[in-house]
Amino acid sequence: MSKEAPLSIAEREFILEALRQDSRLDGRTPDQFRPLKISFGDEYGHVNLELGNTSIIVRISAEVTKPRDERPFDGLFNINLELSAMGSPAWENGRPNDVESSVTHVLDSVIRHSNALDTESLCILKGVSCWSIRADVHVVAYDGNLTDAACIAVMTGLQHFRRPDAVVRDGQVVVYGVEERVPVALNITHKPLSVTFFAFNESKNIIVDATLKEEQASEGELVIGINNGGEMCFMNKFSGATINAREIVTRTSVALEKVKDLNAQIDRAMQADLALRAKRGMAEESRAENDR
Amino acid sequence: MVGPTASLSNLSRADGSASFKCPTTGYKILGSVNAPVELPGRRDALKPEEATVEVFIKPGNTTAGVGERYVEGIIRTMLQKLILGRERGFPRRGVVITLAIVGGGAIARGDSYLTLLPSLLHTSLLALLSGAVPMSMTYSTALVAVSKSNVIISNPTLVEAKAASSLHVLAFSSKGHLLLNESQGRFDFDTWKTVQQCAHALCRGVDLPEVDGDIAMEAQGDSGTAEGFVRETVENHLYRDYAWKIDTE
Amino acid sequence: MASPLVLLPGDEVPTRHLPSNKSNPLKLGPGLRLLSQPSSTSQNTQSQHVLAATQAGILTTDVKRNTVSLLSFPNRRYIPTVNDLIIAQIHHSSVDYFHCMVTPHTAHALLGQLSFEGASKKTRPMLRQGDLVYARVLSIGLGAGAEVELTCVNPATGKSEPGGLGPLNGGMVFDVSTGMAARLLRASSSSSEQSESIDGLVVLSELGKKLESLGGFEIAVGRNGKVWIDCSNAGESAVKATIAIGRCLQTVDEKGLGPTDQKKFVTRILREMKLVS
Repeated sequence: MSKEAPLSIAEREFILEALRQDSRLDGRTPDQFRPLKISFGDEYGHVNLELGNTSIIVRISAEVTKPRDERPFDGLFNINLELSAMGSPAWENGRPNDVESSVTHVLDSVIRHSNALDTESLCILKGVSCWSIRADVHVVAYDGNLTDAACIAVMTGLQHFRRPDAVVRDGQVVVYGVEERVPVALNITHKPLSVTFFAFNESKNIIVDATLKEEQASEGELVIGINNGGEMCFMNKFSGATINAREIVTRTSVALEKVKDLNAQIDRAMQADLALRAKRGMAEESRAENDR
Repeated sequence: MVGPTASLSNLSRADGSASFKCPTTGYKILGSVNAPVELPGRRDALKPEEATVEVFIKPGNTTAGVGERYVEGIIRTMLQKLILGRERGFPRRGVVITLAIVGGGAIARGDSYLTLLPSLLHTSLLALLSGAVPMSMTYSTALVAVSKSNVIISNPTLVEAKAASSLHVLAFSSKGHLLLNESQGRFDFDTWKTVQQCAHALCRGVDLPEVDGDIAMEAQGDSGTAEGFVRETVENHLYRDYAWKIDTE
Repeated sequence: MASPLVLLPGDEVPTRHLPSNKSNPLKLGPGLRLLSQPSSTSQNTQSQHVLAATQAGILTTDVKRNTVSLLSFPNRRYIPTVNDLIIAQIHHSSVDYFHCMVTPHTAHALLGQLSFEGASKKTRPMLRQGDLVYARVLSIGLGAGAEVELTCVNPATGKSEPGGLGPLNGGMVFDVSTGMAARLLRASSSSSEQSESIDGLVVLSELGKKLESLGGFEIAVGRNGKVWIDCSNAGESAVKATIAIGRCLQTVDEKGLGPTDQKKFVTRILREMKLVS
């Protein structure tokens, strides 16, 4: 197990030949993402994401904890990715694999280390208590491009999540229930996303959002983490065939264009959901009033 | 009362899958089954003549701990008896069941897992059916609480379960056997007996004589029971999958 | 028939649903098992077969062939059954056998190095890792953990029967559900002139008609959920035609399209891929 079934020679050669003719198996152009579907669960910060057949669920949660001794002003933020046999029969339950560590590395670099979530704003009382934010990534179906899909899902979750309000009163931390005070959105400093490129045919063909079969047929990959403002926060050329340096520059602008488009899609999904919630909340309020 | 909701075969990579949402506890479970598959590195643990059943529970927003391992054990023991691991293609292979808690609150360390157990069991069953894993029979399960004032609450909410003096999860096979009983808290045997009747009614409908008026039993047809729900879900899905065949006949 | 009977594991097949053909022995399809059968002494009494389901499925009977079987979920994993046609992928070879992958993450099936039409020690095909073969399941062995054996030749005649067995060169394979593969196999094996729609599938005959001008295509369907397509006659449009066929088959499978939608989708895709005007 632990490894996806290898491609047959026919599949590999066909994928390569098709790319030489600028065709992909699902009829996309090289720079086209698969259709992205974002929906939300009942709780804040619960995101269901589908990118083609790749499907991910992200849940964000918060709890009050003690900050680390060396950083008394900072809250905690962790991204948890554990692959299970649900996402692909090639993954064994409870055994970490290569995909898991490489995707975690990109998520940490693009989102955590670029400080997309302002951890200082999570501090409640210096050195005593702070919020610990946790993002759990569940991969429920894997068909390539896990990295980008997980990045989109975690960033959407962070923007959607609302934590309970907490204040310090007489040196005591008081956490208000969701019914008592309107929960607070997290402080997002910028919105970076990753875009993963795969190279084929001596890097003559480079595509985004590869499916699993395309990933398996590829010769090399390039990951770029960039935000709407065009600021890069991550770049990695893990392994595989060489890519011309000039190509990397042009790919960066492709990545920027993609990230702008993806962020716009996230915004649209968020606004639609928040409007729905507001409507539902209003309906509930009036019902409560009627009851009284 | 709003009934549970479920859907089948909703994941693309797994051989069988199902999602199940319990309205009273708010839990939503996603389950997948891969079977029969090789289990490498566990050759010694495999039984020579049968399939090996593996259950893995993935909590929604915490790391799995002892609680999950304990419940995995309960589910595995029960399913091992129902899965026909000697059918063609299954001996020496694995039946890997993965259950992810994708909706509902987190279970804090030390909290009871019993409130979640029925949802987990129903999800496992539906996923196994969707993966066409051979089984000798199906089952249905129910959660019953007994409050401090000795009132029996069927399908309790999380608040009611927390306040209860005892909690019980029972599972009945489609042939009427009692397959599983997990109880916790203080109760006497007479209470358990009523609990058992209440659970039986929830799972399979009333065919036991009512003993005393203490049990609030609603009139239930076949569709209101947990067993009826499983059957309906499977039927609806199969009718949709085979619409091409049914329409032409 | 409004709503056919659905059985769950453990349910017994009602006797009235059993075919009452006495001339042939009753044959059981997958998903059913025999719990008890009529004793030979009581021939005159009604058939007393007690059959129980082991999977969830729709009960179907064939009176002519005296068979009962269950139609289970189409997304299930393929389990090798004798005489099934499958597309296997060579994993490695040993002295006597090619070790082939039939479904991912299961034990390899064996294909004899000489199990090909006209194969001798000198003329046997030299298959590499990753090559594909169209093969028939010869035996599934007895007992637990027995190996599955494949063949590309009919041992009785020495010919590759049914036609087309053997290595698949070039082309492309697409993954479909096992249920879809079974339907495609029935649809592609009966000649398309006979009837328009077989098992609710018109997608193949429709593609055949529309792509005829390009030189048509070759197809091999494996019960293990693989479809091999080759359009090498189509010259320059070979790649596009192959992709179009693959997309049509996969979409019909995933979305469960009915005959009219299948036709519409085929037209749409072929136009999108600029194969027909």
